[in-house]
Amino acid sequence: MTDQLFYLDHAAATPVDERVLAAMTPYFSQQFYNPSSPYAPAVQVRRDYENAKSRLAATFGAKGDDIVITAGATESINLALGSTDRHVVTSAIEHDAVLAAAKRHNHTLVAPTEKGIVRPEAVAAAITPDTGLVSVQLANNEIGTIQPIRDIATVVELERKRRLDAGNHDPIVFHCDASQGFGQIDVNVARLGVDMLTLNSGKMYGPKQVGLLWARPGVRLNPIIVGGGQERGLRSGTENVAGVIGFARAAELAHEHQKSESARLQELRGYMQAEFMNAFDQLVMSGHPKKHLPGSLHVSIPGLDAERIVFALEARGVLLATGSACAANKGTRSHVLTAIGMPDDVADGSLRITLGRLSDKATVEQATVIIVEEITRELQRTGRA
Amino acid sequence: MSKVYVGMSGGVDSSLTAALLVEAGHDVTGVYMKNWTQDLPGMRCPWADDLADAKRVAVHLGIDFKVFDFEAEYKQKVVDYMIDEYKAGRTPNPDIMCNQEIKFKLFLETALEDGAELVATGHYAKTENGRLLKAQDENKDQTYFLYRVSEEALKKTLFPLGGYTKPQVREMAKERGLTTAAKKDSVGICFVGQIGMREFLSQYVTTEPGDIIDRQSGKVLGRHDGAIFYTLGQRHGLDVGGGLPYYVVGKDMEKNEVYVSTNLNDDSLWLKEIKLSSLHWVNSTPKDGVYRVRVRHRAPVVDCELRGDTLAFTEPQRAVTAGQSAVLYDGDVCLGGGIVVQ
Repeated sequence: MTDQLFYLDHAAATPVDERVLAAMTPYFSQQFYNPSSPYAPAVQVRRDYENAKSRLAATFGAKGDDIVITAGATESINLALGSTDRHVVTSAIEHDAVLAAAKRHNHTLVAPTEKGIVRPEAVAAAITPDTGLVSVQLANNEIGTIQPIRDIATVVELERKRRLDAGNHDPIVFHCDASQGFGQIDVNVARLGVDMLTLNSGKMYGPKQVGLLWARPGVRLNPIIVGGGQERGLRSGTENVAGVIGFARAAELAHEHQKSESARLQELRGYMQAEFMNAFDQLVMSGHPKKHLPGSLHVSIPGLDAERIVFALEARGVLLATGSACAANKGTRSHVLTAIGMPDDVADGSLRITLGRLSDKATVEQATVIIVEEITRELQRTGRA
Repeated sequence: MSKVYVGMSGGVDSSLTAALLVEAGHDVTGVYMKNWTQDLPGMRCPWADDLADAKRVAVHLGIDFKVFDFEAEYKQKVVDYMIDEYKAGRTPNPDIMCNQEIKFKLFLETALEDGAELVATGHYAKTENGRLLKAQDENKDQTYFLYRVSEEALKKTLFPLGGYTKPQVREMAKERGLTTAAKKDSVGICFVGQIGMREFLSQYVTTEPGDIIDRQSGKVLGRHDGAIFYTLGQRHGLDVGGGLPYYVVGKDMEKNEVYVSTNLNDDSLWLKEIKLSSLHWVNSTPKDGVYRVRVRHRAPVVDCELRGDTLAFTEPQRAVTAGQSAVLYDGDVCLGGGIVVQ
């Protein structure tokens, strides 16, 4: 392993921002009080906690009272999908948390297009009179495609209207897993038109094991964890004060710099893409050419063993993921790549690069050179270059 | 220079094996044998990590890397055999069976079909013209596990680590920057550690509780949860606490009874003579006569006399267990051996 690291896997984890860490630190020690205790210092902690929730919610146009703090996006998703016992419609390219939670229901998986877009018409076609919930991600964690959430929300709204007009009061709600994308694209519950939203602190330079589920007033949630009745009885357990303080600060920073960060990442990604296309004629770009996260780049070289590249790059300090979350020889390929119809030899040759705050012009340029070198070396070794 | 396929498990031994063969100028291909992938309750099977470790080393060495899927055969030839043996009240050695059926048969055959001229593994042993010889490092010698390998297979096999000690291997792996240099050795059977055998067997065999009986007094001292879990000479895991330690001195699978004794000199713990079944001689059948024998991995080699399928020890041996193997040596040469019949 070399000394310098080039981290190109921000979709997997992000480092806690120093400002976030500084905001959190006092709440581990001096401000350790239980927010439910009656004395003044604890009451102050309660105030700080509620205030952080409000600031956090404000970053995506919501009220602090309407969010439930959880131990991460997986829990938020479980809470969201657990709000109904009826039919669920979701896409075939959701995160495993959504897919596993959907399996507990009668459910329908909507196939995406080859470019990885979940079409609103396809969602409309999957909705049945028994559908109680629709769940679609904001952006895909593997290929980075951004979904037409607003248009899918319209589909759900139309179904709701249709039911009401027919005198049917069975609810249908729309949940969006926005774990990926916050800080890179606009995330606002009103503009998205969703009924529930999941966010993950650990993907936006905040602490891990903290997440939230926002649900608009009127959506009934069934708590998974019961006990002392914290979070309006929807998620018991002593509040993770430091975590929420950090989450709020992280969300504020991400929200504040979203436009400039987005432009910055888009440029870096564009540079990398051009270099790769220039170096490799056989390069396959996955996802949508326009509707993608600014920092996400998914490339494949048919016949390449991407896992070898990951190991070779790791030895040179470049950290990135294979495009197929599980390697071919483990018997399972990425469900996302399968769903967009990618042939196996292309999927096995896929690399996922997700840029973020640890990426700057100099490091991205250096990393690009190293990646091109290692892929070229492997292609030569296997007699393909 | 030959085309050599190396079995790479993701451990330091097979990693260095591959590195040494590359340095010797061979055309090397690393192969991970996918034999077992299932988790046990509370125990994660580390196969995916091991595969990644092996592949990482292969990439570092710039060699081809393949995965051979032997799961079905491993289950049938090694695991089912092991379960059947336990059910019959014996204590089998699945590693010996794995070498016989998988590594030096199936892997060898598959590799040869795939274009290999030779195979290699990270075993601590030596081979010379189809003969099997003890490793330089007496403490690590693994010929006990290899005695059922055929002469033909040995002629196509390289054991590059046979001349090194374990500390040397770790040092050499470190010098070469192999990422597995400091990786902990796997213990016990390849897919389940010693502590996991009970849990493992419980997945495949239904057991009934039974009595633990004192051999001397005939008194019932306590209950066990299945005689299958107990092996001769075993001291731990007997819930009959207090006083002197008890040892398992026998069991009756039919009656589901386990017999114990505090007497270290109990007759059934010490044997002067054993019968062997399933004899396997690496080269030719040795003449009756005086040899050295090992009755358990890492047990000392002791003097014995071979008479057909009967082995007489010069000194009585403790806890020679049915199902285990007795492996004979003539100096450094491993002659082969057989499976102990009680």
